[in-house]
Amino acid sequence: MPPRLKMPNRTTRTHIAFLALPVALFVTFYIYPIISSIHLSLHSWDGFSPSMRWVGLQNYVTLLGQPRFFNAVINNVTWVVFMLIVPTGTGLLLAALLDRGIRGESVFRILFFLPFTIPAVAVAAIWRWMYEPSNGLLTTVLELVGLGGLAQNWLGDPAIVNFSLMGAVAWWTTGFAFLVFFAGLRNIPTECIEAARIEGATPWQTFWKVSFPLLWPSTIIVLGMSAIDAMRLFDVVWATTQGGPAYSSEVLAVQMYDLAFGRFAMGRASAVAVYLLLLSAVIIMPYIYYMSKRVTESEAE
Amino acid sequence: MSNALAQRQTALTRTILIVFAIIFAAPLVVATLTSFKSPPELTRVLSLPSELYWQNYQAAFERMGRSFFNSIAITVPAVALSILIGAVAGYPLAYMRGSSGKLVYFLLLTGMLVPFQIVQIPLFFLIQRLGLYDTIAGMWLVHTAYAVPFCTFFMRNFFASVPRSMYEAALIDGCSPARYFWKLLLPASTSGLAALAIIQSRAIWNDLLFAITLTSSDAARPVTVEISGFASSLQVEYGPLMAATLVSVLPVMAAYLLFQKSFVRGLLGGAGK
Repeated sequence: MPPRLKMPNRTTRTHIAFLALPVALFVTFYIYPIISSIHLSLHSWDGFSPSMRWVGLQNYVTLLGQPRFFNAVINNVTWVVFMLIVPTGTGLLLAALLDRGIRGESVFRILFFLPFTIPAVAVAAIWRWMYEPSNGLLTTVLELVGLGGLAQNWLGDPAIVNFSLMGAVAWWTTGFAFLVFFAGLRNIPTECIEAARIEGATPWQTFWKVSFPLLWPSTIIVLGMSAIDAMRLFDVVWATTQGGPAYSSEVLAVQMYDLAFGRFAMGRASAVAVYLLLLSAVIIMPYIYYMSKRVTESEAE
Repeated sequence: MSNALAQRQTALTRTILIVFAIIFAAPLVVATLTSFKSPPELTRVLSLPSELYWQNYQAAFERMGRSFFNSIAITVPAVALSILIGAVAGYPLAYMRGSSGKLVYFLLLTGMLVPFQIVQIPLFFLIQRLGLYDTIAGMWLVHTAYAVPFCTFFMRNFFASVPRSMYEAALIDGCSPARYFWKLLLPASTSGLAALAIIQSRAIWNDLLFAITLTSSDAARPVTVEISGFASSLQVEYGPLMAATLVSVLPVMAAYLLFQKSFVRGLLGGAGK
């Protein structure tokens, strides 16, 4: 038998057999639909009629001329920046404070983490109630402390609806960052901290010069997951405002859903989805590449 | 450091933590209080309910009882299938040497950056053609398939942290690679599997996007879709809505509180290395 046609050995055969189903699922549910969406984005189709009309790049060009589309792109980018900074930073702060040996640690830990476990639609339902303009918690508390004048139509005003949504999301996702950072801090050998203290470093210096660099594995997980969540953001926005008022809180995912299943503009909706995929690839691909590389390197050591 | 200064710092730390704890707890506390209030009491947000008004829970259950059981019927098997598929894919990828393994791994990982909107329309038609539209089995398939990238990533890294000597010793003893996976590696990986099971329970139970795209009736509609419809109706009845919301929150919350330790250990031991 020529060497090229040599039967793979048993280990290789097992590997191939194990990978067959996951790869088949990946091809069927990721690759095929992505190609199909790209194909669809070059057509005009209402989802019902038997034939689609070829329009070339017209869907892409039309979108570029729409303020509604640009607004959603800007909202998506703003969400990425927000998710990378606010829940992550707050989680790190809470983890660092709690790591100093405070009484009642487990109570704090549970309270900070609890919101993360609840569904996005529950976050939406609860915060619609918090933000209720006349009787909601936020307005009530502001009135109680004499700042009633600051009360807003939290979800009804295009100028502030995004900040309101971000507040709800910060409440929801900070717990994840907190827990990962907290576990990371607990994994740092106490000798490192002790050594720094003996050298005369202040707690502030110890944290930034010793603990924080050692937290890198936690940081990379939190940042990556935040970016991925920000690009996929749909549930909270849809269940809270449906993108309104007047599309002001719309992200690309919500706009795509509205175009596809609300207006049956399947081609246009697919073009929105392709733009979202490109945006997501640009922002997240370096992270995926880094993760796949890093694991290989750490094993080679 | 002087003692007084240290004490002042501890007091400051504690104050900041308490303020945050109040901010984190307040929405849940208010939601719970609201769920027990009768309609006329609703406008007094900060007051305690004068009596426990269980009718909210009754109304919520009448409206979403069925969807709650759908959620359970979707989540439990889908979690089991998705962690199994992650383990099955992660095993060869953790042991393969050479570029083909790396390429497959990188390809599967890119799935994590794919926003689901790009698959949504073709998936809708694919599931319809398969006869799985508005079925619970269809939701199992979809949740398993879309979990492949993350679960593979998670289990591959977990397996990579299991000492390789165990694998080599088993093979020298005449154990086949497949038998090693089922008889030795999987039983030795319960902490990783448990952590992934918790992550997946949250992801699948909490899903709205696939559920609104692929279900349309009581036959398969999960609780998230019901609450979303409930919350966005024009005249929202906040009492029953808060009751329904709290019930929908409980299963995953309970799972996390029970398995918090293994969640953190798995996350850092596996994916964090």
